[in-house]
Amino acid sequence: MARLRRLLTVSNLLFIALLLLRLIPDRALRVQDHFEYTTYFAIALEAVMLAVTLTTKNDRIRHVFTDVIGFLFAFLCAWTLATAKFKVLNEAVFPPPGAVFQAMAVDVKVMFANIGSSLVLVFRGYVLALVIAIPLGLFLGWNVRVGSAAGYISKFLASISPIVYIPYFIVLLPTFRSASVAVMFMAAFWPTLASTMSGVLGVEKRILDSAKTLGVGHGTMLFRVVLPAALPQIFIGCNQGLSVSFILLTSAEMIGARSGMGYYVNNYANFGNYTRALAGVFVIGIVVTVITFFFNILQRWLLRWKR
Amino acid sequence: MAKIEIKNLRAEYVEKLDRFVALDDVSLDINEGEFVSIIGSSGCGKSTLLSILQGLNFPAGGSVTIDGKPITGTGRDRGVVFQHYSLFPWMNARNNIAFGVKQVRRGLKRRERYEVADAFLERVGLSEFTRKYPHQLSGGMQQRVAIARALAMDTDILLMDEPFGAIDAKNRTIMQELLLKLWDGEERRKTVVFVTHDIDEAIFLSDKIVMLSNSPGTVVKEIDVPFARPRDHAELVQTEGYFKLRNEMMSLLFSSVGDRIGGTEVVI
Ligand SMILES: Nc1ncnc2c1ncn2[C@@H]1O[C@H](COP(=O)(O)OP(=O)(O)O)[C@@H](O)[C@H]1O
Ligand SMILES: [Mg+2]
Repeated sequence: MARLRRLLTVSNLLFIALLLLRLIPDRALRVQDHFEYTTYFAIALEAVMLAVTLTTKNDRIRHVFTDVIGFLFAFLCAWTLATAKFKVLNEAVFPPPGAVFQAMAVDVKVMFANIGSSLVLVFRGYVLALVIAIPLGLFLGWNVRVGSAAGYISKFLASISPIVYIPYFIVLLPTFRSASVAVMFMAAFWPTLASTMSGVLGVEKRILDSAKTLGVGHGTMLFRVVLPAALPQIFIGCNQGLSVSFILLTSAEMIGARSGMGYYVNNYANFGNYTRALAGVFVIGIVVTVITFFFNILQRWLLRWKR
Repeated sequence: MAKIEIKNLRAEYVEKLDRFVALDDVSLDINEGEFVSIIGSSGCGKSTLLSILQGLNFPAGGSVTIDGKPITGTGRDRGVVFQHYSLFPWMNARNNIAFGVKQVRRGLKRRERYEVADAFLERVGLSEFTRKYPHQLSGGMQQRVAIARALAMDTDILLMDEPFGAIDAKNRTIMQELLLKLWDGEERRKTVVFVTHDIDEAIFLSDKIVMLSNSPGTVVKEIDVPFARPRDHAELVQTEGYFKLRNEMMSLLFSSVGDRIGGTEVVI
């Protein structure tokens, strides 16, 4: 009984409402709706939600899933109504959702190849940024005098959009691909550097004193004491860098790329195929959500010592 | 020659143009294997004195030597326990100890360091908590780990700054007895400098008590504690002379504070 009552949620009502939209006849559009694809997508979401609702005892997780998926159902209802059913929005740039889902299904192979290409790009730039920014930030932050100057300089540089550098990268770097990696690098480098330096400056004196009294050497002090103590702060920059990287993916793939999700979106948007462009945007959103999810798990594991 | 010799020590804190004298003309000898408590009201400079012995602060005048050599900084001959935050929050109990051991005993293999850590955790009664992080342990347990680390590092000298200051009365007596048992049980007793503001604690633990007065801190009196070891709380209060010593210290502590502030009541 209690479980049944759990099913009577706004999200489930929205799911039924979405399915019932089928009863309203479609208008004639330039891009025809494929409502069955919206239905498949909704059923998949509903299945995930039901599985989570009926298995987990953790209220917080259950609420997050129910609310997010409920929001998606509401969004799909509104979108279908505003396009296919009542044609409120401009049909040139607002394709109906079923058409977008159909494009995703048709292009699934191409999408996977493009996701792979984009992830390699982001991964190279991001890892390179962290590998340089974190040790550099530790070193600069640890030398207080250099650190405070570097703090101002890096704040100034962080405020410049990496897009500004694109022409310079193209001139200076051997390939277009490396110029794209450089944009990804820049997106993650400054936030990580700035947060590492402020993390180092914020390490509690008592922790440092304790380490000194153990007689630790310079290397140990920096990498086994200062680094972990500053890690919660460093992660703030890493998170920020990761989101900026994905935001700039489309710009990075404007530089002579022939593959990648950003390229896919750019390409179809340029030719006015907004169905496919939106399908690409959707897929990027899903990929970013999945990556952020795993990144958060990694972060929670590395910071498991925090209360 | 005494293990630690402090001569006419002066300590200052300089902030912008202000110069604050925290300790003035402190002279004190501490012998090898001696358990010495530093007692005084809060703000009298106990932690300052200890931080100079730790090598985290430096004298503005006078001299401090260990084995005849001036202190030039922190050193692997001194183990330290603070009131809070001696442990690293990102290491579990045994890693905290193994990390400390690694710094002083370079020859040990990783596995041997963990054996040492586990052995000392057992001695402080924390065998079941070896893999807990500091935030998962109570304040008293954290201090046990910190003491275990200091002992496992097997330094000549132990410097402790109110290690039981934040522990409730019952656990505090348990910790005091544990500390004495561990210290007594060593083949070669360590030289201990123990800061406290608790008279009973000082009497129970020490061979010698050094009383400091307030701003600037200076030695009011050195008191030898004559009671036989091993000690235990219940027996000690029955011992002849215990209350006499306690009362004497009480009035000394109050008068050294009272002199400077005109005799009004003071919370120590
Ligand atoms: N870092 C510091 N800067 C300025 N003054 C300090 C500093 N540390 C301690 N003092 C001052 O020195 C005096 C002695 O402090 P402390 O040694 O911590 O005393 P206790 O440990 O006996 O309570 C106090 O008046 C305190 O305010
Ligand atoms: Mg103090």
